[in-house]
Amino acid sequence: MKMRMAILLLSFGAGFWCVSGCDRGGPRVVVYTSVDQVFSEPIFRAFEKRSGIAVKAVFDTEEAKSTGVLNRLIAEGGNPQADVFWSGDPVRPLLLIQRGLVEAYAAPNARNIPAAFKSADGSWTGLAARARVLLANTRLVPADQMPRSIRDLADPRWRGQAAMARPLFGTTTMHVAALFSVWGEEKARAFLNDLKANQIRLAGSNGEVKRLVAAGEAAFGLTDTDDANEALREGAPVRVIYPDQEGLGALIVPTAAVLLKNGPNLENGKKLIDFLLSKEVEKALAESAAHMPLQPGVAVPPGVSAIDTLKAMPVDYARLAEQMERIQPWLREWAGL
Amino acid sequence: MSFWRRREESLVVGAAGLALFLAAFLPLAWTFIEAAAADPPALRRGLAALKAARPWILLGRSLTLAAAATALALLLGVPLGLLLGKTEVWGRRLALALQALPMSLPPFLLGLGWFYLFGAQGFVGSEASRRILFSELGAVLVLGLAFAPVASSLTALGLWGVDAALEEAARVVAGPVRVAVRILLPAAWPAVALAALIVFTLAFSELGVPMFLRVEVYPAAVFARLGGMDFAIAEAGFLTIPLWLVAIVLLGIERSLFRRRSFAVAGLRGRSAAPLPLGRLRFPAAACCWLATLLLLAPILSLAARAGRGGGFSAANQWLWPSLANSLILGCAAASLLAVVGAVLGHAAARRRPGEKILDGLAALAFLAPAALLGVGLTAIWNRPPTRFIYGGPAILVLGFLARYSIVAIRSFAAVLAQFSRDLEDTAAAFGAGYLRRFLGIVLPANFRGLAAAWILAFVFCWRDLETAVLFYPAGWEPLTVKIFTLEANAPEAVVAALSVAQAAATALVLALGFLVWRRKAPW
Repeated sequence: MKMRMAILLLSFGAGFWCVSGCDRGGPRVVVYTSVDQVFSEPIFRAFEKRSGIAVKAVFDTEEAKSTGVLNRLIAEGGNPQADVFWSGDPVRPLLLIQRGLVEAYAAPNARNIPAAFKSADGSWTGLAARARVLLANTRLVPADQMPRSIRDLADPRWRGQAAMARPLFGTTTMHVAALFSVWGEEKARAFLNDLKANQIRLAGSNGEVKRLVAAGEAAFGLTDTDDANEALREGAPVRVIYPDQEGLGALIVPTAAVLLKNGPNLENGKKLIDFLLSKEVEKALAESAAHMPLQPGVAVPPGVSAIDTLKAMPVDYARLAEQMERIQPWLREWAGL
Repeated sequence: MSFWRRREESLVVGAAGLALFLAAFLPLAWTFIEAAAADPPALRRGLAALKAARPWILLGRSLTLAAAATALALLLGVPLGLLLGKTEVWGRRLALALQALPMSLPPFLLGLGWFYLFGAQGFVGSEASRRILFSELGAVLVLGLAFAPVASSLTALGLWGVDAALEEAARVVAGPVRVAVRILLPAAWPAVALAALIVFTLAFSELGVPMFLRVEVYPAAVFARLGGMDFAIAEAGFLTIPLWLVAIVLLGIERSLFRRRSFAVAGLRGRSAAPLPLGRLRFPAAACCWLATLLLLAPILSLAARAGRGGGFSAANQWLWPSLANSLILGCAAASLLAVVGAVLGHAAARRRPGEKILDGLAALAFLAPAALLGVGLTAIWNRPPTRFIYGGPAILVLGFLARYSIVAIRSFAAVLAQFSRDLEDTAAAFGAGYLRRFLGIVLPANFRGLAAAWILAFVFCWRDLETAVLFYPAGWEPLTVKIFTLEANAPEAVVAALSVAQAAATALVLALGFLVWRRKAPW
């Protein structure tokens, strides 16, 4: 009996040791990212191959995009687990900076990134940018009636046929916050109420907006360039429209690399950020995800716009961060949750 | 008898209870404690959230949706369970085994399969089918069909547990239909009722399918507060209170219905040798069963077709293996821990030990509580320097699974023990055997199949889990379900479909291995 007990206890001890510490050993870096896994994971594999440093990653889901890992980083603030946060947008890192969770790092590769897409002190550095675009189904929307502005989402002509992601997560919240910032509170609320009155279809994510439009379940929708590009690659009958090029401009959303304070592998974190800011990564993301390179001299593949050819919406990313936090309860109410 | 020997049972049950307390109660209670301590206005906001009309409307909608999905699951699952469990339908065991596949996949993946079938551009889709799919009715159909195998399996297992002598006696004087309606189904009703409770709970707490089909439900309101920019923990905590009230009502119903009856969930009693003869009805009955099985498997077949059409199987190769290994390791580790805790607490429940109702209730509340809230609490409790070895590795997920699915292991083992005479234990005790000796030497070997069944059930729940793992899996330990859910947004449809099929295939393999173990006698 004693032998059996000893074997049982030893088995459980070994099992527990295994699940609590079996992935220790060797150089590693822990990264949390809200950049889509389908694009970010190959970048991490390339870094592993190049540096010999194992990348342990946590990816955000599309439904909780950017905010799931952001909230986790805040919750883990007292005892950080991650070294790097590679955010899908520059606004979430600012919330971490406000809470003192970020270590400034002026990466050598950040030198040539335009000033609008990085902080002066190296708290965050932008790279590979997306734009918010309209994706239209060419079978449902005649060429001469293509939407040109995000206001078309509220056009009664498209009642019940336009789609956007629920503006509680991801770049859609950022877009709405940008509208609140540029238009002012009253006009932005009126626009959102007009969308509701126009029976806009609220999808769980931008990827789902793409799917709805590609499948012909919505005539057009508001999404990101990477999702739109995915629809084009799948051969869906769609057209990508950069909205408001004669007016407000399209919202540009650079991804952003941030070094976290007191992370367990600080030096390896810096190495990963250096790699993320390389031209090689910008080129890879332009090819795989239609992200617009921010480093000068990176060739843009066909179908991807160069950042300087677009009219961008004039936004201050730092102000958007505050705006997003402030309007969240109202947005939840608007979304019926 | 020494001091420790006399207290062996209290210590062991106490240790299992403590594990449950640390994994489930502390994290859930933290929501309120931390919010109250750090930010008193947050509590006022939490209360305000509860006073608003909208959450109650969503609660009503969720309850209705869960009730309708349960009704559908029973309507399909109970007759199916009866036909497959007790009659001479051709290939009935194979059909039952096949039905275990959709049961062990996250319903969200089945929803995706239905979308490939009935979306506007689906294999047999149209605008009308799309409208139905993306509606409350669609959510009821997807969830009802996803959980129907729970009803069919439990009904079949319940029927296998019906006393063979009773059935044989009835057959002497009555035809098969009368035996089924008057003897078998009434005898198996606790299993059917248990299936109803499980399906209702799963449908009520489901998040992925309603979000995918754009149906607003109560769990989504809680999730929105934890996934949103303002990270409104206190509001999420307060919105959990109605969920716990629902759980208490369900527990009350369950206890009043089942506490005085035992039922088989592991097929331990002697079966009737011959299945019920169907005569001329044999062919139509078999056709109905196989059509229903095909219907339940349709979303998986649809996923396979979608994967095959776009070369998904070869492309999925680069995404599959690390996550598959993670799921297997996590599932095995968690199922083993759950089997141990389930065996100890299930034994305590079956023998009506003091405090068992409290622990059972806690396990039930943790099962129904929003997984996202549990995740936030686990992070707050365990992410500290002294416990970094737990939080920083897969052990934290194992703890999360322990919190969320302990009820599955406790109830399944307790149900098995309810049919195991305590005479042997009492005799051994009379001869001076202590608790551990009786438990390890008599209870576990004599109920090895029950223990194996509890392990398999626990494994399946951990294996198919999405909600618990998605918000706090440790870096580098992403399970396959989470990977599919994450890739689903942007990866090519064929790849996502292929990964889903791989999850189903791995499930089949694990279930087959589990079945082989289940058939063996105790190895000690």
